[in-house]
Amino acid sequence: MALDEFTQMTLTGINLGLMYALIAIGLTLIFGIMRIIQYAHGEFYMLGAYVLYYWSSVLKLPYWLGILVSAGTIFVIGAVLQLVLFRPLHGKNILYSLAVSMGLIFIISSGGLLTFGTVVKGIPSVVTGGVSVLGAFYTYERMVISIFSATLILALWFFLQRTTTGMAMRAVSEDPEVSSLQGINTRRIHWIAFGLGSALAAVAGCLMGTLLSIVPTMGFIATVKAFMIVILGGLGSVPGALIGGLIIGFIDSFVTTLISADVAYIIGFVTIFVILVFKPSGLFGQQWD
Amino acid sequence: MTENTKMATGVWVAAVAFAFLLPVICGYDKYILHVGITIAFNIALATSMWLIWTLGFISFAHAGFMGIGAYTSALLFTSLGWSLWINMWIAAAVAALFAFVISIPLMRTRAVYFFMASWAVGEVIKRVFAYYRGIFGGWDGIFNIRPPKIDIFGLDINFTSRVAYYYLALVCCALIVFAIHRIIRSRTGAIYWSIHESEILAQHVGINVLKHKVIAFTTACFFAGMTGALYAHYHTYINPKTFDIWQSEFSLVHIIVGGLSTLNGPVLGATVLTIVDELLRPAGWYRVIFFGVVIILTVLFLPGGLETVPARVRALVARLRGRSD
Repeated sequence: MALDEFTQMTLTGINLGLMYALIAIGLTLIFGIMRIIQYAHGEFYMLGAYVLYYWSSVLKLPYWLGILVSAGTIFVIGAVLQLVLFRPLHGKNILYSLAVSMGLIFIISSGGLLTFGTVVKGIPSVVTGGVSVLGAFYTYERMVISIFSATLILALWFFLQRTTTGMAMRAVSEDPEVSSLQGINTRRIHWIAFGLGSALAAVAGCLMGTLLSIVPTMGFIATVKAFMIVILGGLGSVPGALIGGLIIGFIDSFVTTLISADVAYIIGFVTIFVILVFKPSGLFGQQWD
Repeated sequence: MTENTKMATGVWVAAVAFAFLLPVICGYDKYILHVGITIAFNIALATSMWLIWTLGFISFAHAGFMGIGAYTSALLFTSLGWSLWINMWIAAAVAALFAFVISIPLMRTRAVYFFMASWAVGEVIKRVFAYYRGIFGGWDGIFNIRPPKIDIFGLDINFTSRVAYYYLALVCCALIVFAIHRIIRSRTGAIYWSIHESEILAQHVGINVLKHKVIAFTTACFFAGMTGALYAHYHTYINPKTFDIWQSEFSLVHIIVGGLSTLNGPVLGATVLTIVDELLRPAGWYRVIFFGVVIILTVLFLPGGLETVPARVRALVARLRGRSD
């Protein structure tokens, strides 16, 4: 393996890993705080990409504002869905939330196929050009996207550590009953977390949609990746999701280039299986009963 | 035997009788028989998945084990020419063997983690089929798997006939459901539910939880493998896509919509949803949307599933008659 190839794969790995981490952090927030299985998480990633597509390719409005609009729209959709569909299921067996979100997948992805059409679409990039790093070509676009994702993850970390709402979120995910005794409105935290988590997926969708292309069926693959990462890192753990995202990103980048995408999946799942066997609640996870 | 169980037995007998008479009733209509066979497969899958659920967890590797059964049977047929009569049992045994080996580490995980780990197992099985083109035919799958024949005692049945295969599927499905019914009604079944209720408590009264989990998982996968073999020889063509996560998810949806607490649930759910799915076929993509709406509405407004409908209707009738009972 030549050095330039290695650098290329590393850069792609970081890029993919950060974006996976964005989706997975959203999912892990929802998981940790509400203790439900949000199986339709990837659908918000898809919807987010389409919002940006309509904003910047159809309406020709500025790109970066579009990401904000997309995140805002998906935040509202997520929060409303939480209030309508998931609140009644709170405290019940996780199978019920799994079933409801599975229904959501059917509705959103087929609804997407009907509304957006099956044609593959692309969001025009705003950053062009690139630079040669150790023999590998690194586009400015990927660089900007990597930095943007990393900044967002950092911002979220500060939000969770420093702000009152963020601390309330961590408290609820630690112990819902005790935190409500401390005067935290857990119901409010639930919809905020759901909206925020979905919005993070939407941002990832916007970034991924710019790099690659968008189709209404792309949501499920994102769900698969997000679940792999969240389980790898441990449910409810933000650092776990970041590290898990990078692990899966690197596996995807290296194995897909060197062998094939099928093997990348196999290795990814085998890694998860092995980690779960030795650490039954993921790398940094909390134990559930 | 209470009034209710007597009635339930009656309904079961009537349902099986109806299933056996279906070809005559529908005038040997090929399409209806095809739906019937699909229902039989779905019931077999859903009930065997439900057997795992009685211990309190859901395995998303179920379609993967069905795939192991299907591929075993298909390969035995295409390479050695063995018929379904032998392959079915070997397929089930191979699926059970894999299930047994994998379940020992798998059972270390709990709740959501189990669900994900089993998903990983199912996905690896599918991708292995897809990756090894030489043996499993890659994403293209395996072709030309033929249904078996019977030629003994002057009896000559070719199972390429829809009606014959319908009866084969029906008998196997009934056997699987009956076997699971017997397991759940036995002392072992009581142990399973006790593990479902509280694993720690079960352990403290001296139940070997790991042993029971492994056995139940292996048994369920045995049935799944058998279903897979029947599936392969019916469709004559299999590919990895058939056995992916969606197959397991549909079985899970059948169980949830049907009801989780008795064996009636998965049977009812698989039957009703397969029929609904077929009826909606002309609707194109709207069919999938409708399916999603049905799932969500059932979970939100009919939490016990379809199996609770008779009790609900009875309660409603009683209320209308002005009886508080």
